[in-house]
Amino acid sequence: MSVKRREKDLTLLEKIYIPEIVKGLSLTLKSMFKPKFTLKYPEEKFIPPASYRGRPVLVQEKDGHERCVACGLCSRVCPSLAIEVQAAETELEKERYPEKFEINMIRCIFCGFCEEVCPEEAIVMSKDYEMAFTNREEAIYGKDKLLVPVEQLQDRIDFLRKYK
Amino acid sequence: MERVTKEEVPSKILQALLSTDSDISVDGALENEMILNMGPQHPATHGVLRLLLRLDGETVIACVPELGYLHRGYEKMAENMTYYEFIPHTDRLDYLSPMANNVAWAMAVEKLAGIESPARAQYIRMMITELARIASHLVAIGALAMDVGALTVFLWTLREREKILDIWDILCGARFTNSYTRIGGVANDAQPEALAKVKWFIDQYEPNLDECEKLINTNRIFIERLDGVGVISAQDAIEIGFTGPNLRGSGVEFDLRRATPYLFYNEIDFNIPVYKEGDCLARYFVRADETRESIKIIRQVLDKMPQGEVLANSPKKVLPKKTEIYSKMEELIHDFMIVNFGINPPVGEVYSAVENPKGELGFYLVSNGEGRPWKCKIRSPSMVNLQALPMLVKGHMVSDVVAIIGSIDPVMGEADK
Repeated sequence: MSVKRREKDLTLLEKIYIPEIVKGLSLTLKSMFKPKFTLKYPEEKFIPPASYRGRPVLVQEKDGHERCVACGLCSRVCPSLAIEVQAAETELEKERYPEKFEINMIRCIFCGFCEEVCPEEAIVMSKDYEMAFTNREEAIYGKDKLLVPVEQLQDRIDFLRKYK
Repeated sequence: MERVTKEEVPSKILQALLSTDSDISVDGALENEMILNMGPQHPATHGVLRLLLRLDGETVIACVPELGYLHRGYEKMAENMTYYEFIPHTDRLDYLSPMANNVAWAMAVEKLAGIESPARAQYIRMMITELARIASHLVAIGALAMDVGALTVFLWTLREREKILDIWDILCGARFTNSYTRIGGVANDAQPEALAKVKWFIDQYEPNLDECEKLINTNRIFIERLDGVGVISAQDAIEIGFTGPNLRGSGVEFDLRRATPYLFYNEIDFNIPVYKEGDCLARYFVRADETRESIKIIRQVLDKMPQGEVLANSPKKVLPKKTEIYSKMEELIHDFMIVNFGINPPVGEVYSAVENPKGELGFYLVSNGEGRPWKCKIRSPSMVNLQALPMLVKGHMVSDVVAIIGSIDPVMGEADK
């Protein structure tokens, strides 16, 4: 632990200040030759780990249907009221499906609660973090943008089963 | 309490500013006094803090802080959402240590509902609270050094903090707004990679902090600007309600981790750094020493952390595990019930406080047996610590005001709630 000194404890050399400047500059110079800590972002992409909570997406099964049964639990738990679900009936085994599923990405706070309460593993957080819109209508993601094939989300689903 | 109408507010502030006794006379100062408006958009006020200063020359005679620019009404919002839904909102109170706020909220609700979280979850909570403390103090140290002119330190402490944010990225999936704790435990078990990264971080942290300290601890300009500036006595600090590093900088050895041990802090060996002087430099020393103590705590926590569950087994109050929701009917029903109707704690009220990086963060919750709190009061340390500002800046220069604000380390998200 370094010594805690006050004004009265400073030595003459420290009071002269020039050695301090030299010390500070040498430290700074030293760190110029250390490996860089920053990421050159647009060229060098940040690769998130499996636990990363990016854009929420709907899981699309191999047959092209979504897993969602439109129970509405995600829209109930959403703290920022970003999700809207409208259910309809279907001939499939699951009987219900979301006719309309919209997430307002301006409202979404990426807390991951929708994924946590989903009883069907139908909505999960992806690794997508690059989202930019030019107007508000564009920011409302419908089913066309939300559906993502299950193969692309496998490591997140594995993470959920293992750690949640 | 006196009530004022909207039209009266500006004149009331002005009156308070003028009526404060001003028996300070400075030799050679200018004859005429001046009122200076500092903030809310001032780079050195650490957020949207507005100060009205009455100046004689460059000496501050009186100061009236105006808070509330970041008021979002969290106490009222809490009354309209379930205990579970309020977790992300606690991230946004003290946004430099969201993990510590999550823990504070989860512990308050657990106390209200009578849930005991498992040992592993409690050890993880201790680990993340201490990491949050380091992250918060690093920003405080860096920002204080930057305010008094040492920009390099700010960049270096933020580099260290970045490593903690990387740990949180792995641990819970978000860097800043973590929302990691849950009622009855934590959101997900700590992965081995996250724990390995914590171990790596604590091993390399102290040499790096030494390097930062080497730059400023014997730097004459840094010390002269902080030594003897903004002195508050122990008595005044207690009367105002100081907590956290600010109180310990005034020579009062009070730490909630020791005074009312929560989690497993009574099993951990750590010191409480205390400095007697009560000035800006003492507050800076306390923070730097506290991060070293936090490293000590994390090292012990990692050794002692047991294996096991991270969520309590209390089906009516704690969300079931994901894998069980998929396959079991009971758990599925509980999942729906807890999300839709809340956890319904028994009628009663609790006050639960934890030692946050900024001081004592307390939640006072009143339940009437429903899924939502009937009342939620947040005792935020930054708000209380800021009350001392008029007292501290009196008689100092305008440039010292910046150093004093930096040493109190307020976070406006918390002060304004």
